[in-house]
Amino acid sequence: MTARVLNGAVGVGFGFVLSRIGFTSWDDVHRMFTFADLRLLLSFALAVGILTLGWLVLHRLPGSRWTPRPIHRGTLAGGALFGVGWALSGACPSIALAQIGEGQLGALWTVAGSTAGNWLYSVVHERYFRWTIGSCADS
Amino acid sequence: MPHWSWWAGGVALALVPIANWVLLRRILAVSGRFTALVDRLRHGPDEQQEEMSTEELIAALREATAREFGEDAVQPEAPAVATGSQPAQPATSLGVHAIFLLGLLLGGLASALLAGALEPTASLHGTLFASLSGGGSLPAAPWLLAGGVLVGFGTRMAGGCTSGHGLCGVSRFQPGSLLATVAFFATGVVTSFALGALL
Repeated sequence: MTARVLNGAVGVGFGFVLSRIGFTSWDDVHRMFTFADLRLLLSFALAVGILTLGWLVLHRLPGSRWTPRPIHRGTLAGGALFGVGWALSGACPSIALAQIGEGQLGALWTVAGSTAGNWLYSVVHERYFRWTIGSCADS
Repeated sequence: MPHWSWWAGGVALALVPIANWVLLRRILAVSGRFTALVDRLRHGPDEQQEEMSTEELIAALREATAREFGEDAVQPEAPAVATGSQPAQPATSLGVHAIFLLGLLLGGLASALLAGALEPTASLHGTLFASLSGGGSLPAAPWLLAGGVLVGFGTRMAGGCTSGHGLCGVSRFQPGSLLATVAFFATGVVTSFALGALL
C-alpha cells in the first residue's frame, strides 16, 4: 500500500514538473532540438549536474541498488531510433502521459505506438538477437 | 501553460529522481516500467507470478554476501541477466508501475488545471506542430503513432530512455547511458532540422 502511494506521488510530481518545464510542448521540444531555445537543454543539464553531486551522498543510503548501465549492441541503434521518435512525436515515454493529462489527447496515439513498439522489440529480440539488452529494470 | 525559468526547472527536474531514490531506493526509469507492463500483457499474470526471478535471487545473494563479508566482497554487478523476453522488473509488483504511469497523467492534469490552461484537443497544442500536421487531429495521428512506435522500440532496445539513461545514467557516468544519450540527442537534432524544412 505504501509503495503504491509513494510511486503514485513520484509519478504525479514528475508529470507536474515535466509540464511546467515545458517538456510536454511539441513546439518547445522542437525548439530544443533545433537550438532555437536553450531553456529545456539548460534545465536538463542543470538537473544532470545536481544529480552528479547528489549521488555522492544518495548512493550511500541503506538499501540502495546501484544498477550499472553497460554498453551493449542495442545501445547505439536503440538510442538513435528513440531520438527520431522523440523528435516526431514530441514525447519520451513519460512526457506522452503528462501530455494526455494536460488535455493533449493526440498523445494517446503516442502511447499506443510506444506500447506497440516496446512489444514489437521484445518479439524481434527473441527471434533475431542474442545479446542481453539490460533494461530500465531498476525502478 | 506558464513555464518555470531554466534554473527552477533544472532544480525541479533533479528533485524527481532524488525523491524516487529517497522514497523507493530505485533509479528513476520510466521506460522500464512500460517494459514490465508490456511483458505482463504478453505473458499473462500467471507466468509472471510463478516465475522466481533470477535478478531477485542474485540481489538477495549479493546482499547476504555484503552482510557477511562487507561491501568489498561484492563484485560489480554483472550485466543484467534478463533478456528481452523475461520480465524486466520482477521485484516490484506491476500495479505499482501502473499507478506511477497514471500519476504522470494526473501530474499533467494538475499542472493544466492549476494554470487554468486545460484545453482539451484531439491533437497536440502548439503552432509548429499544427503546421506540421495540417492543424487537424486526424493528420496528426500518423506522426504521433509512428513516433511512438520508434520511442517504444528504441527505448527498449537501448535499455532506457530520457529518465534512466539521460538523467540518472549520465549523472552516474554510466557508459551505456552516455552513448544512448548522445545517440538520441543526435538523431533528435537531425530529425528536427529535417522536420523544420517541412514546417
